[in-house]
Amino acid sequence: MPPALALPTLQQNDAQPTRTTCALAACRAGSRATVVDIECSADEACRLRALGLCEGTSVNVIDTRHAMLLEVRGTRLALGSAITAGITVQPQSAQA
Amino acid sequence: MTSLQPPTSTDSQRAAQRRGGAGGERASLRVAIIGNPNTGKTTLFNALTGLRQRVGNFAGVTVERVEGNFRGPDGQPVAVLDLPGSYSLSAGSPDEQIALEVLLGRDKDRWRPDVVLVVINAMHLDRNLFLASQVMELGVPVVVALNQFDVAEAEGVAIDVPELIHELGVPVVPTVAKRGEGIEPLKRALFIAATLPAPTRRFALPAAADTALASLRDCLTADGLSPIAADMESLRVLGMSRTDAHLAQVPGLADAVIEASDALRIAGFVPARFESEVRYAWISEVVGKTVTTRVNTGRSLSDRIDAIALHRFYGPALFLLVMVLVFQAVFSWATPMMDGIEWLIGTAGKAIGSQMPAGDLRSLIVDGVFAGVGSVLVFLPQIAILFTAIGVLEHSGYMARAAYLMDRVMRKVGLHGKSFIPMLSGYACAVPGIMATRTIEDPKDRLATIMVVPLMSCSARLPVYTLLIGAFVPPIALVPGVTLQGATMLFMYLLGTAVALGIAAIFKRTLLKGPVRPMILELPPFRWPSPRSLAVSVVQRCQLFVRRAGTVILSLSIVLWAMATYPKATVDATLPVAAQQEQQLEHSVLGHVGKAIEPLVRPLGYDWKIGVSIAASFAAREVFVSTMGTIYGVGDASTDDEALQARLKRERNAVTGKPAYTPLIAIGLMVFYVFALMCMSTIAVTVREAGGGRLGWSWAALQFGYMLVLAYGAAWIVYAGGKALGFAG
Repeated sequence: MPPALALPTLQQNDAQPTRTTCALAACRAGSRATVVDIECSADEACRLRALGLCEGTSVNVIDTRHAMLLEVRGTRLALGSAITAGITVQPQSAQA
Repeated sequence: MTSLQPPTSTDSQRAAQRRGGAGGERASLRVAIIGNPNTGKTTLFNALTGLRQRVGNFAGVTVERVEGNFRGPDGQPVAVLDLPGSYSLSAGSPDEQIALEVLLGRDKDRWRPDVVLVVINAMHLDRNLFLASQVMELGVPVVVALNQFDVAEAEGVAIDVPELIHELGVPVVPTVAKRGEGIEPLKRALFIAATLPAPTRRFALPAAADTALASLRDCLTADGLSPIAADMESLRVLGMSRTDAHLAQVPGLADAVIEASDALRIAGFVPARFESEVRYAWISEVVGKTVTTRVNTGRSLSDRIDAIALHRFYGPALFLLVMVLVFQAVFSWATPMMDGIEWLIGTAGKAIGSQMPAGDLRSLIVDGVFAGVGSVLVFLPQIAILFTAIGVLEHSGYMARAAYLMDRVMRKVGLHGKSFIPMLSGYACAVPGIMATRTIEDPKDRLATIMVVPLMSCSARLPVYTLLIGAFVPPIALVPGVTLQGATMLFMYLLGTAVALGIAAIFKRTLLKGPVRPMILELPPFRWPSPRSLAVSVVQRCQLFVRRAGTVILSLSIVLWAMATYPKATVDATLPVAAQQEQQLEHSVLGHVGKAIEPLVRPLGYDWKIGVSIAASFAAREVFVSTMGTIYGVGDASTDDEALQARLKRERNAVTGKPAYTPLIAIGLMVFYVFALMCMSTIAVTVREAGGGRLGWSWAALQFGYMLVLAYGAAWIVYAGGKALGFAG
């Protein structure tokens, strides 16, 4: 049998975050955040997860002028406002 | 995992399924290629197959199906199918659905691969492994191509390939597709993999989750999936919405999903995220053991280019520059080549014709066949240039930036950011523009774009505008440098554009109504496109055009020739040749068609002569001018505009004695041509790009129909409205 997976995110499912969360859409350029929850249609959520944006992932916000430009797992993603409004994140300190 | 999985189809079944491969021989091996977009998958496919490719459509959908073949290490013929780029098998789009069906052997063609080649971008191992991990659980042998290995090395990403092979349990071959490196080892790996047992899941689910999914797995195996594929599917369907059509297709699946979801929740998991959590947890472990990244201190070249490309001011400026360049290339640079082709065909036709006795056969060959072939080949320079430009923009990565910048504007009319390039090229020619819509993933956005591209005033409308403006619009200066003639021309262009955007908005709210897909776009790093791969793609597009559209255009050219030539009229041989042609035309089938539709066009102010020209111009808009030239006996009007213009001004209506053509009629006629789809080449291409077969023809018919209604209505409004307002009719 292959070794059991270490699933760090599962332990966090029950722990309610005591730090503040906000919508990804509210984050400013240059900030960094961790994804807490994704609330959008199943199709889009699937695509986001396949692109590497899932709960527990860290994202850098690059640009917010047009749609939102993010860096996720080393890839640049442009996300429309309808989607970023549905993603809840936990902001971290701004990028150095 | 030590137990051998039984093969999912017997050897005799597989042998029975094999069809002819390279050069008509039976394929020794069938390979399906899958991978994320932007991994160089197509470059790898092109490197394997060269020009030995065939492009078609998957049955019943607009997804393109590209199949090719190559020779294995010992010369064995191998058939390879390029599946659409997918981020996962989670079936969010028709592309991904088709990929899954093919891999499970459930597509309509029953093309089950012997080996699946998963193309991974070495720079983005973690994200790419998501798809790979799903594919590795389908019960088919897998080989991984670790592509763009050179870029990874340059960026300081070191991958321990033997360790990766150990972790994945499948052969992994580093490749640099655009330089053809790693191709031979890859071919050997494919043959070796076909003899190995199929890979299995490389991680174990937590026990509680495993139990929770048991009934779901049973439901899927009852539907005919192998145990291992049912394992994969059970994870996948957890993420689907309740109303997904797929869930309804398998008996009891929807309920089983609900049951499993409830059980998972009790065990402390969130069903919708479960698959991504377990897969990414495994991926993190694999990446941790195999990848070491040298810490990069500076910004990459790609980031520096993006600083300009996405800049608040320079971004749109650069975009404008690129668009002007593309437009200029398609519009102007193609012209000398197009003239060259026309000259070549014309000369060849005359040379052949001079060897033949005068008569119908010569006329058929020269005026029918050669003219028809010429009208097909003349598109090739524009198609080649446009697709080269698009290829460079796509493969370099700039296209994604362009789509990002244009998205907000296009979204207002319900179109996609990527609709911009097809519409822009429609100003030159709708044919390559419509072919270019395949870069738009969403089928509804793509169809909406296809429906309106022909409204952008193409270069073929120019001769019509030039003739009518030259004859009937006075050359008065409005402001220094701008004449009324120029302004009228510009007005026609703007009219087409404005209506195109409006019609697109209407389509997206009615027939092609769909949720306006919010943008999820990957901006890949900038890279140099591979010239060889680009050349292969462009040549293939041209071949496709000649084979498909070409045959339609040629046949219709011959039909129109016949309609103009028969029945034979007794011409007065004392008249000049041009006048003889005029007589012949009047008595031919085409002439009768013109007379028959005269009542229809009279409300627009036209007579049977314009009617014939309009009918003939169905082949191509430029034919309007040459037919008018024939009817008015001025011979080849395309070289002698002034003669035809003068003739039109003098023409008197036989009944009323008043001028037959007035500025009002001319404007109305131009407006008619702004909107009417008088181009069988466009129709031929629409048929294909809208899905081929009945589906394609239905959309093409709709396109022709609505544009004709628009054209007639607008021309009538201009004419009747103008008369009502007191302009001379």
